[in-house]
Amino acid sequence: MSERVAGVIAQFEDPAALLKAAERVRDEGYKKFDCHSPFPIHGMDQAMGERRSPLGWIVGGIAVIATLAGAGMQWWTNGVDYQFVISGKPFVSYQAYLPVTFAVAVLTSAFVSTFGMMALNGLPRWHHPLFESEQFKKVTDDGFLVSIEATDRKFNVEQTSAFLELIGGTNVEVITCD
Amino acid sequence: MDAVTAEKTHVDAPLIQGNPTFHDVSEKISSLIEGKTPPLWFIAIGLSSSIVLLLLGSVGYLLWEGLGIWGLQNPNGWGWAIVNFVFWVGIGHAGTLISAILFLLRQKWRTSINRFAEAMTLFAVICAGLFPAIHVGRIWLIYWIFPYPTQYLSMWPNFRSPLLWDAFAVGTYFTVSCLFWYVGLIPDLATLRDRATTKIRKVLFGIFALGWRGGNKQWKHYELAYLLLAGLSTPLVLSVHSIVSTDFAVSIIPGWHTTIFPPYFVAGAIFSGFAMVMTLGIITRKIFGLEDYITIRHLENMNKIMLLTGMMVGYAYGCEFFIAWYSGNEFERFAFINRAFGPYWWAYWSMISCNVLVPQLFWFKKLRRSIPVMFVASIFINIGMWFERFVIVITSLSRDFLPSSWDYYRPTIFDVTTFIGTFGLFLTLFLLFVRFLPVIAMAEVKGVLPQADPHHHDTH
Amino acid sequence: MKLDDQTFRLTDAGKLGMIALVIGVIGLVASGIGFTMDKTQFFHSYLVAFVFWTTIGLGGLFFTLIHHLLHPIWSVVVRRIFESIMVTLPLMVIFFLPIAFMGGLSELYHWSHADAVAHDALLQEKVGYLNVPFFLIRAFAYFAIWAVLAFLLYRLSLKQDDKHHPELTGRMMAISAPGMVLFALSITFASFDWLMSLDPHWYSTIFGVYVFSGALVSVLALIILVSLSLRKTGKLKEIITVEHYHDLGKLMFAFLVFWAYMAYSQYFLIWYGNIPEETVWFAHRWPGSWKMISLGLVLGHFVIPFVLLMPRKSKRTLPFLGVMAFWMLIFHWVDMYWLVLPNLHHETVHLSWMDASTLFGIGGIFIWWFWRTLAAHPVIPIDDPKLDESIRFVNH
Repeated sequence: MSERVAGVIAQFEDPAALLKAAERVRDEGYKKFDCHSPFPIHGMDQAMGERRSPLGWIVGGIAVIATLAGAGMQWWTNGVDYQFVISGKPFVSYQAYLPVTFAVAVLTSAFVSTFGMMALNGLPRWHHPLFESEQFKKVTDDGFLVSIEATDRKFNVEQTSAFLELIGGTNVEVITCD
Repeated sequence: MDAVTAEKTHVDAPLIQGNPTFHDVSEKISSLIEGKTPPLWFIAIGLSSSIVLLLLGSVGYLLWEGLGIWGLQNPNGWGWAIVNFVFWVGIGHAGTLISAILFLLRQKWRTSINRFAEAMTLFAVICAGLFPAIHVGRIWLIYWIFPYPTQYLSMWPNFRSPLLWDAFAVGTYFTVSCLFWYVGLIPDLATLRDRATTKIRKVLFGIFALGWRGGNKQWKHYELAYLLLAGLSTPLVLSVHSIVSTDFAVSIIPGWHTTIFPPYFVAGAIFSGFAMVMTLGIITRKIFGLEDYITIRHLENMNKIMLLTGMMVGYAYGCEFFIAWYSGNEFERFAFINRAFGPYWWAYWSMISCNVLVPQLFWFKKLRRSIPVMFVASIFINIGMWFERFVIVITSLSRDFLPSSWDYYRPTIFDVTTFIGTFGLFLTLFLLFVRFLPVIAMAEVKGVLPQADPHHHDTH
Repeated sequence: MKLDDQTFRLTDAGKLGMIALVIGVIGLVASGIGFTMDKTQFFHSYLVAFVFWTTIGLGGLFFTLIHHLLHPIWSVVVRRIFESIMVTLPLMVIFFLPIAFMGGLSELYHWSHADAVAHDALLQEKVGYLNVPFFLIRAFAYFAIWAVLAFLLYRLSLKQDDKHHPELTGRMMAISAPGMVLFALSITFASFDWLMSLDPHWYSTIFGVYVFSGALVSVLALIILVSLSLRKTGKLKEIITVEHYHDLGKLMFAFLVFWAYMAYSQYFLIWYGNIPEETVWFAHRWPGSWKMISLGLVLGHFVIPFVLLMPRKSKRTLPFLGVMAFWMLIFHWVDMYWLVLPNLHHETVHLSWMDASTLFGIGGIFIWWFWRTLAAHPVIPIDDPKLDESIRFVNH
């Protein structure tokens, strides 16, 4: 049998209990843990000691490039490569380039926001040890769970399970995978 | 107005009635998809898809025969197709407005209506996009609008043309709205995945849920991505109809060339979009028994927005009229006198009555909260907003600078069937959506329930 | 925290008020001397200062109206500030008197000269609107609307402090809804009358909305600066938190984009249409150093603050936000200058000391009056039903 322990999960009653549990787990020194809930809980980032997502800066940086690329495309195609007179406007009519530049910038940024979020979240990932657990399915309905991964340096099956029970977790379950 | 009840209903009425638990929310919304298909749905989709056949027939004949089958003539080079395009794009504005702007303004009541309003946006934009596409005549060459390098053409599209901006703006809008809608759907798809009892649901919802696990480490990026998409969609939604307005406003035709057009079109778009959300929302709510989720408070808020945007549109009508007179310009003055008292006076006054007078009903709290009143009013507004675009397009074109070329525009039967056909397309897509995807954003609704606030018990 | 009447009064209000008053009086006296020296220059500078401060007052009125209509939570803590800004509007009628009765009309408005109208076919067409008696009637009607709304809403707001009056929220809303309609019409026609008719041949339907958008940016800038200065004295430190500044910053950002949208719509459609009777207005804003002002406005009123206010951090770093607010006020003045002065100095920008003296003259009195109003009552609406929620508010 090559089955090994992937982590431990435990249920908590409501958002408030999950928030408190997160603080306890954080203070205990765990790093690779997560708090699962059907909707985002405000104040959870602080409770878990999480840093802000860097997605904003990624999108911002690429938006600048997209703006320049969008403007550059119009400048080069209409102003340089293929010049023609239309309604008496100059070849390079920067005033008229704004709508398309804006569209290109927004389109690119939206793609980066969506796929950047997926990349940062490691999605898509259709198979995950947590999906083996029946009670984990409650997360997308009304469950509030803490999971601690076995790869955490402080992880120890017995101690971690006991700790989760100590801080009020119920249905403590060891997750295995092969 | 009774101030005390006003205070109560505005401030204290719960967003979701009936005090549901988190599980109740999943159960209620998912059951609409998981339960047996109501017979009414089959009747409805049978009806709407036969209207789609009408659309296919009309478009097929158009492609076979050419644009001559429409009522276009000189000087009316633009007719119903452009009217319908602007009409549908306008309707497509409420969804993103509700999702993005109300999100940024932290209007929590949006959570009950944003999902189906967004879906409506997508379907309306599909209907809108059809018209300019078939209007180009040779639809099989439509890819020429894209700036792609080719030896064969050795030329580039004209970036100084508002029609090209349209293609970019509407295309971007559709794509970004899809992304926004999909990102919003991910947690709900995961809910459906975890509830799935049949193999096919498990697989399909499983694939599209992407393996969502609802961990805070995921929510963190997710929430920022949603915020960014909202932040991007907000200027986008304003820009799309502004750019549509430049189709008219960059020309020098009296009645078209006026500087207020961009914000005026945006206000009109929001106005008409909310009217359509209202029409569909009332029906959906009734059929699926969603009265606890889409409450009178939601509907009343939407009516207030319609009152506001209706006033903005009225402001623009008035402003245009005043400035046309103030300009002292003979052509400007004529264009507006002609609108109100010329051969299309009936269109103008239909527009004024539906768009300016009808929303005035919503000054009264009683009418604002009456479902029959708002349902009828929303339909009138939809009609009025169609007439607005008709007035803009036709009155200015039919009587241009040269009286000898004036002509009266009449649509043909194919103009009418194509337009009716798009309603079939819109309804078919909408019916498919309500059957196969959650009509209400479950994760978001759970997030605004009182017990979702971790400090909920502290304050009570 | 104790939320009573006394905790939130400004104790050292007198000093700042006095400084403002002294600056105002000196400015007005200097401007008076300017009036005797060069009436034409005086009135043009004066109009810039007048519309600069009036639009800020109108911004205060707008925020009060919108507050009562939408009941936002976060803005409760700064409500007294924009209400006090609104209360300066009745004062502005005094500053309008020189324009109305001391020869301002004939210095500023070409259409007010009967002989000019006699030789101008276009002006004859407009004479039903652009004539002196009607112009004055309209101006006083605008002031009447603004003063009545300001007095009514401010009085009710103070009444709310006395003791708990839950019915007042509803009553203020009932005034604000029709108030908003009157506001929209009055600010539109006021901009047409006072600013657009400086060039009586030119017309633009968006002009009223353009002026309105500038008013929104500048009033937010002033709200931020006032809150920050109250913070310096130690008042309101726990009340107006960094979260509120973040929101004010976001709104200022949103409205400066809105301003750019209006400015671009106006410019772009006229540029593209390229009809001489419309482009002439922009052509007047291009010769000599006017070009620099026109481009400077694009950069200073939009591009630079847009980039700088974009990151979350810049809206939460209070000294930086203060600098940006001050910056926006400067550019609101440049905007007003750009609307008015090209009608006087056609060739190039020609700054005059009267530009400053009138700005500080009216501004000193404005700030003094504003500060007096703010200090006379608690600086936060202590019995607003949502105050508590507003204080605890955080950005998510």
